[in-house]
Amino acid sequence: MAFLVHDSRDLERRSRPVAGDERARSSKRLWRIDLLQAALAASVAIAIALFLADGGGARFATPGAATTSLGIIAGLVATDLVIVMLVLAARVPLIERAVGHDAAMALHGRLGKPVMYLLVAHGALLLAGYTISDGIDLVAEAVTIWSLPDIPLAVIGFALFALVVVTSLIAVRRRLRYESWYLIHLLVYGAVLAALPHQFSVGGLFAEGTWQRWYWLAMCAAAFAAVLVYRVGAPIVLSVRHRLVVDRVERLDHGVFSIVMRGLDLDGLHATGGQFFIWRFMARGQWWQAHPYSLSAHPRNAELRITVRALGTGSADLAGIRPGTRVALEGPYGIFSEASRSRRRIALIAAGIGVTPIRSLLESASFRPGEATVVLRTPAANDGWLLDEIRSLARSRGATIITIPGPRGATGWVTDAAAAEGLSLATLVPDLPDTDVYVCGPRAWSDAVIADARANGLKPEQIHHERFDW
Amino acid sequence: MRPRALLLASAASATVIIAGWQLGTLGAVTAPVAQGGSQTVGTTRSTDAATSDPGTADAGTSSDSNAAIDSTSGASDASQATSSTDGTYAGSTVGTRFGDVQVQVTISGGAIADVTALQLTDHDRRSVMISNQAAPILREEVLQAQAASVSMVGGATYTSEAYLQSLQAALDQAGF
Repeated sequence: MAFLVHDSRDLERRSRPVAGDERARSSKRLWRIDLLQAALAASVAIAIALFLADGGGARFATPGAATTSLGIIAGLVATDLVIVMLVLAARVPLIERAVGHDAAMALHGRLGKPVMYLLVAHGALLLAGYTISDGIDLVAEAVTIWSLPDIPLAVIGFALFALVVVTSLIAVRRRLRYESWYLIHLLVYGAVLAALPHQFSVGGLFAEGTWQRWYWLAMCAAAFAAVLVYRVGAPIVLSVRHRLVVDRVERLDHGVFSIVMRGLDLDGLHATGGQFFIWRFMARGQWWQAHPYSLSAHPRNAELRITVRALGTGSADLAGIRPGTRVALEGPYGIFSEASRSRRRIALIAAGIGVTPIRSLLESASFRPGEATVVLRTPAANDGWLLDEIRSLARSRGATIITIPGPRGATGWVTDAAAAEGLSLATLVPDLPDTDVYVCGPRAWSDAVIADARANGLKPEQIHHERFDW
Repeated sequence: MRPRALLLASAASATVIIAGWQLGTLGAVTAPVAQGGSQTVGTTRSTDAATSDPGTADAGTSSDSNAAIDSTSGASDASQATSSTDGTYAGSTVGTRFGDVQVQVTISGGAIADVTALQLTDHDRRSVMISNQAAPILREEVLQAQAASVSMVGGATYTSEAYLQSLQAALDQAGF
């Protein structure tokens, strides 16, 4: 069953031209994504080209030389990809605005294991190649290599990198507290720094006086600079400039509460509904925890608001945060916002506490009366977090609200009762093919909504989703 | 990846790889066909390259040439005034995976007057290039330090190690 809480469908006037700003903006963003992806591929190609430009193409004549050459290439590509991973995690605005934080971090995560394999191949192939060339046994060769300068350091770097990758495997990561995982993850900077010296001292490719050396140094320096600027410098500047403090905590329900914060020049943040910040509440026992939460209201009246459901111990403690507590922030992040619009109509689909960015997006998004549909999975037809606010927004802006009460069905994203009635995206959202679909909720549920959207022929740039489990 | 991204990525990568390949084969034609032992090639670089980065310097001293360094400083203190004989001494031949290395030292007036490379790593064009770059730098450093305990040249680890090892052998012969 589904309930039509507010109906604005008849408000729509069919006067607007089909191609709006949304398409032009989306086309620009898609170009940026394509160029960034091409740049990534090119950076890998450059790593290989550095070796070829050094006459590497001729070093495949004997089995020993060929093995060695492949080992060198594996090392070069691995290092290049590690630098790419650093840049993806550095929150560079160019990348954040084009592909969004989620997609950038997803790619960052996917690269970890391949890089590990490349590093293992680098070590194994070089050991094998040198052994073949020198005509001595493996152990003697290993001892020789170990005695080269900076090699022990590089091996330590590899061990650290392996530790970081292993602790990020989903099975292992689930068992770790977020904070322990994060601290281990910081070791990656040590890993990269430990692995760099041997590339310049042992490897002949980056010998002093070669242009390859300068390229490699510049690439590494740029990546570290990006991390320092955007992950350390920018948040400090932002926090000092906006002087955010907790104004009040509003309880919505048991376990769900809103935190309203006040600060200076919040317009200067250029944050919009649907985006998130990483918040740090400067109170005892709290300051070392960083919380990523979406804005639950469009920033106005010098106020920022988040709405939190106490899921972990960290978020439960936030309920007791005192007014006046200083707040450090990083952001705004995410393109679960107007930034990723590609069509003139909009459908906002949420389950549970996933309603928070949907609520603020409904406030910020541009649409004409009748062009927006909000679908919420709620505990009861007329009961849901922030539902009153959404209802009044829908009334003033001309959006339709549908609630689907009850637990998630066995298959699909609507309840079994609703599915039996044939309810799905296609029947709930008018003119679905010309709609941007925004989805926020638990992962499995979101995936079901996305599958429904794809089945209806929606293009990838029309489907936007935000995860809130890490 | 969308088709357009795939196209852009392939085009960019192919261009870069082909350019790299061209540079590599071009270099093979124009590179000086120098053989080991030539001291003149690359001397213009010796001043800026002599200030090798501290990482390399640390690495150099921490490698297995440590023992040689200690014995040198001990020996030179004792011998400089007394036993070193003027003349030319050839060091031992030290093998590396990139070729053999042997140097010859000229002692004059109880000081290292000159170091000549008799043989340098020459297995392929690249090792020739590297050793030709490294040899003048090492020679300069040795003449300045008056010992074999100098820092290695970054990117020329094998050449440096073998060069300094052969030099140490020559200095030992000279009683330096």
